[in-house]
Amino acid sequence: MMNRQLISRGLAFLILIVCTAAMISPIFFMISTSLKTKSEMLLFPPTWIPQSFQWDNFKELFTNEEIKFGVLYQNSIIIAVLTVIGTVFSSAVVAYGFSRYRGKGRNLLFMLMISTMMLPYPAIMIPQFLLFSDMNWMDTFLPLIVPAFFGSAYQIFLLRQFFNTLPNELYDSGKIDGASELRMFSSIALPLSGPALATVAIFSFVWSWNDLLGPVLYLNSQEKFTLPIGMAAMISSKFRIAPWNLLMCAAIMAVIPVVALFAVAQKRFTEGIVLTGIK
Amino acid sequence: MKNGRKLWFVMLATSMLLTLFLSACGKGGTSEGSSSDPVTITYYTIDSPDRTFVEKLIPDFESKHPNIKVKVDKAPYEQFDSKLQANIAAKKSPDITSHFGYGGFMEYYNKGLLTDLTDIMKADNFKASDYGIQDELMNIYKVDGKTYGIPSNNYVTLMLYNKDMFDKAGVSYPPSDYEDKSWTFDKMIEMAKKLTVVSDDITKTQYGVDFGWGELDMRPAYFGAKVYSDDAWTNGGKPSETYFGSPEAIAAYQKWIGLIWDQKVAPPPAFSKAVAGQFGDPFLSGKIGMSVVGSWSLASQKDFNFKVGVAAVPIGGNPDVRSVLYVDPLFVLKDSKHPKEAYEFIKYMLTTEVQEKSIELSGGTPPVNDNAKEKYYNSFEGVDPQVIKQVYEGANKYGVESYNHLISNYSQLNELLINEFQSVQNGDQKVEAALPGIQEKITKLLERLNK
Repeated sequence: MMNRQLISRGLAFLILIVCTAAMISPIFFMISTSLKTKSEMLLFPPTWIPQSFQWDNFKELFTNEEIKFGVLYQNSIIIAVLTVIGTVFSSAVVAYGFSRYRGKGRNLLFMLMISTMMLPYPAIMIPQFLLFSDMNWMDTFLPLIVPAFFGSAYQIFLLRQFFNTLPNELYDSGKIDGASELRMFSSIALPLSGPALATVAIFSFVWSWNDLLGPVLYLNSQEKFTLPIGMAAMISSKFRIAPWNLLMCAAIMAVIPVVALFAVAQKRFTEGIVLTGIK
Repeated sequence: MKNGRKLWFVMLATSMLLTLFLSACGKGGTSEGSSSDPVTITYYTIDSPDRTFVEKLIPDFESKHPNIKVKVDKAPYEQFDSKLQANIAAKKSPDITSHFGYGGFMEYYNKGLLTDLTDIMKADNFKASDYGIQDELMNIYKVDGKTYGIPSNNYVTLMLYNKDMFDKAGVSYPPSDYEDKSWTFDKMIEMAKKLTVVSDDITKTQYGVDFGWGELDMRPAYFGAKVYSDDAWTNGGKPSETYFGSPEAIAAYQKWIGLIWDQKVAPPPAFSKAVAGQFGDPFLSGKIGMSVVGSWSLASQKDFNFKVGVAAVPIGGNPDVRSVLYVDPLFVLKDSKHPKEAYEFIKYMLTTEVQEKSIELSGGTPPVNDNAKEKYYNSFEGVDPQVIKQVYEGANKYGVESYNHLISNYSQLNELLINEFQSVQNGDQKVEAALPGIQEKITKLLERLNK
């Protein structure tokens, strides 16, 4: 009995270790490449451990006048944080409305909103570009941030499903105590929706953080470029060897905020997916 | 109740603050100048140091032309076309650009995106010889005698070889003289056989030659076969007939694919992928003896882990067609509001002084101006300038302009060929079996596109 347990446990660990190694190896290679010299990066077969650790690559990344990594980073953070604020706020309000009110045509409206999820970005790219261009918003962060303040169909859907799971009795008792709708939204719905809100925050942060085409279209001056633009530019030359070692340094730096955010919100995040998934 | 109001107020205040903040972000955007102000022209390019070096030339240009200001807009390679398209749709077209992205000259021309520069140039008495540009090069970007682009850079196709590998195998180096008529395709195969080592251990395997001569549709030209009817060169890049299934074309492709599967001196795609990894070019790994490539590869040679030599492309089936030329032009776009000023800037880019400066600033971009070429030949440490000169001059003499600049809808055509040729290159299908089907698909594609 004891033995069998031991064996199955050992086996489970073995499988887990193998899977972990497989998952970690690209990350390991990213870190290893980031510490290589340019010539070592071209070696075949590739080395797993750099022959000598080039910590200066990181210094080079931040001091390189052409890359301006600090500026890219700052711009990406500004856009992502404002996008998160906008998305969470606007989506929560709209989702609350869809969940609480039962007017005529509610389902139709909801369906209409959901259907916007099916529009791929290239389909709305040019009309949206024309709109923002007419508004004189070119080369500003506005076209990247303001749309977030008008809700996102996916996030609204996610939040509405969550709000729907909150029992009506909570609102009834709120009403008896004389709470306004706004008060019920802020004191009942929001505090109970931590996991869902965390999920929305993470999704919208990652989406904004990774967005490349939007910033490329709307931003023109180098001081306003974001991380994805800068990193795509590093491999844009078809005529030169790309500085993969520096790019890997940039990738490590770019992953940090996402990992940090996930670590902070992890508990709520997983809870959010599970809960909204079941109901 | 009280709390609810407070929250309401906080939300209102936040949103007002945000609006304020955002509108502050929005400021400093476009400010329309009055007519007495200098005009601003936009130069649109790829966001990589070998292209954006133009920014460093602007202060000098502006001091010489106080009435013109130049702004450089840039995008990563993959998004270059999308951004251009959006800007043209929004009537914010840049003034100057080139076919830096996926599309070639003919796509720009056929979409009506280019300004006809003929009259401006005539009024200005433009002489190509003043800028050291050969007349044949000027003809590349003419359609019906009208000029739509002015050459600015002159890449050629050349052969790079791994000196270390040659030394180790005791094989003498390939010649750099294009007039050495003993330097033939067959001789190259012979040489490559001596360099090739095929072993079960991939780290010990090496191949003699990687023959990347132009894009796939160009390879028959090297062996003396043609795939496009001649009208394509004069009618805006729309061939009325294509001959991918002709016996000559089949024989040509067989010779090229034969390097991999019959002679076994060239790397199969799987090997190239394995050793090249993220860098795209297996030659960089030091596992390839000779590599026929565009001359842009020369600019990175200082980063190679081996000594590199430069040689002539051997004679194939047509002694006059040995090198693919990539003459990059500059265009003035149709919607440009200041075509004359844009033209001034292009002229500035072509002067000997600026062309020489550009070599350094871009890290080795070849000038089109003959007077600046000497400097280019001398900018590759460790490679004899005389040899580069010899190879460049021979390549230009026996060169043919790359089809991607001349054939309409080239990106779709090329993509089709790349996909269809995959099974042939992998050895899953014979050339003669695949080509009739490919011909059929190309006919259909062109029928649809060139209607």
